[in-house]
Amino acid sequence: MAASERLDPVEYAILSQSLIAAAREMGVKLIRSAYSTVLREARDGSAALLDAAGGTVAQAELIPMQLGSIGKIFQACAALYPVESLEEDDFLIINDPYSGGQHLQDVFFFHPIFDDGVVIGFAASVAHHLDVSGGSPGLNPNAMDLYAEGLIIPPLKLNMKRDWHGGGFQRLLRANVRVPQQTMGDFDAQIAANNIGALRVRELVQRYGREKVALTMAALQDYSETRMRAAIRAVPDGIYYGEAVLDDDGLGSPPLPVRAAVTVAGDSISVDFTGSAPQVRTNLNAPFASVISAAVSCVKAALTDPDIPFNDGSLRPISVFAPKGSILNPNHPAPVRARMISVSRAWNAVMRALAQAVPERVIAAGYDTTTSFCLSYLEPHGWSVYLEIFGGGYGASIEKDGCDAVDNPLSNCSNTPVEATDQDFSFFRISRYALETDSCGAGEFRGGAGFSRSYEILKDGVRLAIYSDRFTQSADGIFGGGAGEHGGCTIMRDGQAITVRSKDAVELRLGDTVTITLGGGGGYGSPALRSEASLLRDVEDGFVSADKARLWAQAAAD
Amino acid sequence: MRVGIEVGGTFTDLVAIDDGQVRVVKVPSTPRSPDIGAFNAFGAAGLDPTTVTDLVHGSTVATNAILERKGAPIAFITTAGFRDILFMQRHDRRNIYDLKYQKPLPPVRRRDCFEIAERITSSGEVIAPIKESDITDILVPALRQGQYDAIAICLLSSYASAAHEIILKTILERLLPDVHITCSHEVAAEFREFERASTASLSAYVQPVISRYLDRFEHTLREAGFRGHFNIMQSNGGRMPAAAMRRNAITALLSGPAAGVVGAIRQAARSQRSNLITFDMGGTSTDVSLVQNGEASLAPETEVDGLPIRTPVLDIVTVGAGGGSLIWIDDGGMLRVGPRSAGADPGPACYGRGGTLPTVTDAHVVRGTIRPDAFLGGAMKLDTEAAHLAFADIAARLGVSVREAAAAAIKLAVANIVRAMQLVSTERGRDPRDYTLLPFGGAGPLLAAEIADEIGIREILVPPNPGVISALGLLSADYVKVQGVTRRQALNAEAPAMLQSAFATFQEQAKQEFGALGLDGALDYSLEADMRFVGQAFEIPVALDTTALTSLREADLAARFAEEHQRVYLHGGEPGRKAELVSLRFGVRRRLDAMPEVYERPSNMERPPATEIVVDAKVVPARIQDAADLVTGDSLTGPALIEGYSSTIWVPPGWRATRDAGANILLQRED
Repeated sequence: MAASERLDPVEYAILSQSLIAAAREMGVKLIRSAYSTVLREARDGSAALLDAAGGTVAQAELIPMQLGSIGKIFQACAALYPVESLEEDDFLIINDPYSGGQHLQDVFFFHPIFDDGVVIGFAASVAHHLDVSGGSPGLNPNAMDLYAEGLIIPPLKLNMKRDWHGGGFQRLLRANVRVPQQTMGDFDAQIAANNIGALRVRELVQRYGREKVALTMAALQDYSETRMRAAIRAVPDGIYYGEAVLDDDGLGSPPLPVRAAVTVAGDSISVDFTGSAPQVRTNLNAPFASVISAAVSCVKAALTDPDIPFNDGSLRPISVFAPKGSILNPNHPAPVRARMISVSRAWNAVMRALAQAVPERVIAAGYDTTTSFCLSYLEPHGWSVYLEIFGGGYGASIEKDGCDAVDNPLSNCSNTPVEATDQDFSFFRISRYALETDSCGAGEFRGGAGFSRSYEILKDGVRLAIYSDRFTQSADGIFGGGAGEHGGCTIMRDGQAITVRSKDAVELRLGDTVTITLGGGGGYGSPALRSEASLLRDVEDGFVSADKARLWAQAAAD
Repeated sequence: MRVGIEVGGTFTDLVAIDDGQVRVVKVPSTPRSPDIGAFNAFGAAGLDPTTVTDLVHGSTVATNAILERKGAPIAFITTAGFRDILFMQRHDRRNIYDLKYQKPLPPVRRRDCFEIAERITSSGEVIAPIKESDITDILVPALRQGQYDAIAICLLSSYASAAHEIILKTILERLLPDVHITCSHEVAAEFREFERASTASLSAYVQPVISRYLDRFEHTLREAGFRGHFNIMQSNGGRMPAAAMRRNAITALLSGPAAGVVGAIRQAARSQRSNLITFDMGGTSTDVSLVQNGEASLAPETEVDGLPIRTPVLDIVTVGAGGGSLIWIDDGGMLRVGPRSAGADPGPACYGRGGTLPTVTDAHVVRGTIRPDAFLGGAMKLDTEAAHLAFADIAARLGVSVREAAAAAIKLAVANIVRAMQLVSTERGRDPRDYTLLPFGGAGPLLAAEIADEIGIREILVPPNPGVISALGLLSADYVKVQGVTRRQALNAEAPAMLQSAFATFQEQAKQEFGALGLDGALDYSLEADMRFVGQAFEIPVALDTTALTSLREADLAARFAEEHQRVYLHGGEPGRKAELVSLRFGVRRRLDAMPEVYERPSNMERPPATEIVVDAKVVPARIQDAADLVTGDSLTGPALIEGYSSTIWVPPGWRATRDAGANILLQRED
């Protein structure tokens, strides 16, 4: 008998919503009590409730990339430390990409939730940390292996009383991070979020009993699975192919392909990335857990209603394969810091494949790149690190223009207010933040516009580190739509423009102005079909120049 | 005579009080010109405007102007390089899996956004002076050409120094005298440029609309002989003279829900209850708020249609569960209530206007807590059979009877409202069991006892005329101004002195402002310091006693902050972690005189002595009591329905209802 049938339908609905609300509250408290700009402003973190076996039940919808893999990462911990062996005040921690993690900056905490001495579930949180050691502050684009990217935390069982509050592990961490005031505060925010989640689950158990809560945890996963399968069943069976490319490996290689074969059979989908580029020497390699997240996020976004809770049930109808040794399943200890670039292309390739099956549900490729932009400076009192995540223009759909200037579909980072950087950093000042004219792909529905941000450097010896993509290869349009404009990064020094590569590290000087430009998304349908009123509005509002608009209109005349 | 008029989306409510006599009137709203509905209410109540000494008005005019994007054509001016602040927004998506996501549309077109070269740092230091010639030679001609009704100015760091905004505004006012100008530092002197720019632009956008509306309203009033005070309700729970609202209209947004909370607080005070969880259940949604020591908590920010508005508002959480919310089963087999609603047309199935989908109202009809003959004082007969039919499909799919399906729907609606209550209580470290539940709105008192049982509350206070408590709130609202300022200050020995001096400045300014508005008499002050650990971005409000500011020490501040941080996050930070003050929120209030008492409006309707209601799958007889006939000291036990003019109270078994000395009906658990 299915778990949901053993529950009263009302109690089931109430308990489900309560678990989802608890996960949401964990996410809110994680962000609101955080210290670093990357967590508190960009909101690069996530939280979830897991059942006693480690299956994700409910998640705070923050960062899709992190949400897809929390359950998988837990299994790596549980394999070493069986759930039955855990005691009050124990917790599990991990960041190792080769044990199921993402990249070293994403540190996962799992706190068991006890009722009467029995583990009834786990509260989990993950946050992107500003600096976790490694070869250079915040971001080391030159890392040739994982060891150069930061401190590796294998699956560990620790105890709050013994190892944290002033304990050995906490001191080890503090000694290894460059901005301890912020990083250690962010760890505390993760712990606070987990404590809240555990408290809420215990309150539900007190009220409804352990069995009903456990049944609801199982039923909620079945529920997501049922709805995912219903959505997949509506897609015509078949094998669909899609491809996307990365600019290069950061060392001057030709473009690197990512290929997806998506097989829809009844109510299941399998995604095979065979044919994708081999792993590279730079940090673009994607740990397999992140590839699963990307593929599932794409299927979920394209095929289902947004209100389906993303949990382990939604993963069940989808299987993912990537050959070992490829850029989407690298061998240890290949560096992985910039995995978002490769998994974004995996997302694009799956979307492109689905376009053949369900053209009304997909979007064109967007800029769809996580640009990690890091400025650091050694002040007399220690390191000051600024890290910001940028997206670009979104791809257009069958009924709407792509969203302008917004984060990558696999991420959802906010910008840091200029007035916040003015308060927190004295070694640079943001001098411009604007949408870019003519960056959007042409189409019946245009792509989202890209944007740029400029920084005046106020000290000698500031270090710029960056990874990005689509500096040479732009976001393709679909069904006759045009491509979005590509991005770039330049330094203006003494009137001369210096080009920064998409994966680079550069030392800056007082008086430099660095501009990072993020490109636009691809269009949907031929620009010939764009309404005159929409095109006129684009021109009058400066999204499209008069010259470009003439080209769009030209398409109509031809 | 004192009169409150609340214009809502569907109904316009009027409450008039004169020598203890209460008149309550509900007329249909007239959305195209809301003032017509308001004057209709005057007529329906048979009021003579010449006898009205005090008129307080709340309306959705400002909110609707934003929702329908029917505000004035405006321009936006900001620091060079940042023209796109309103379009960049925060670079995030509200729904992470929506591929067709669009950002909320700002109230100004991109072509109407302008830049001016200047820059001030976060400490208020000018590093690029603003040039008068740039304003007069470049900006003004462009602004003239645009023929704008209003202009919003938001320059970077104006929260730290308003010098450049003031220079710009002064010159523009001189050269463009007919254009209304809103500066960001006037409406939200706090850091984070997008939120401040959004607030300034929305304020400018609604200002001409509000001004015109108030002019017309006041003109008609004066024509009819009105000579009293004309005041407008604000979203912070206070009123202001209409004259002040013509300068800063942003506080008039979302005033309706705030008025209800104020009315609830005033009425609860008569029964000596000051810790409340209020909920206003209407047709499509329910508004919930928490009241501590007679004060509703303030949120520093709200939003309309996704656009942030940085102005202190009563902290009200809205959930999409109202009387008209649809009950349905989703494609994963889960029973759901709302957020879709049957609306006014066709409305619930029992309205007999062609609706076939079940709603919460239909569930009440099925179980008997809404009597088909007694709806809206008997003015509208309901179709019981249609209500039963509407539940047939859901009952079949769940494998239960229609009655059980209706009971399930009610439980789920209760759970949705309880979750909103947890947002304002448990999530903020407050135990809901320490509070009295105060329901109002047409549908609130019908569910109050079940909500109380679910969340563990043992006492409910139902005010007289719960359907028009918002209009009563208008009448009883004090004059209030709340102002936030960013003042970053380390929590050290100098912090108390900074607080004292900032407070003295505000106090002086408030005295002058209130004096100029003719608001004499004693003023009460409040002060909240938004504090955080150094490095955090979100602050925790810490209320401080303004009468004890002179003796405040650094250690007191630290202790108060640690206590609040512990309450919300379950930890108070590591030892030695430094804290800081970020923003201060000052409030000034001129209290009203004691309010006259209000009583139930008689319904003059024949009622049978008893009816049948389904409780736990069994049909039980329930007494019917006319609310107006339940006088002070009268008491009854459930199951019973207490029916009034604008709403019905359901008293389940196990609860006792008593009319108390404060004219409220007090429900208490018997066991």
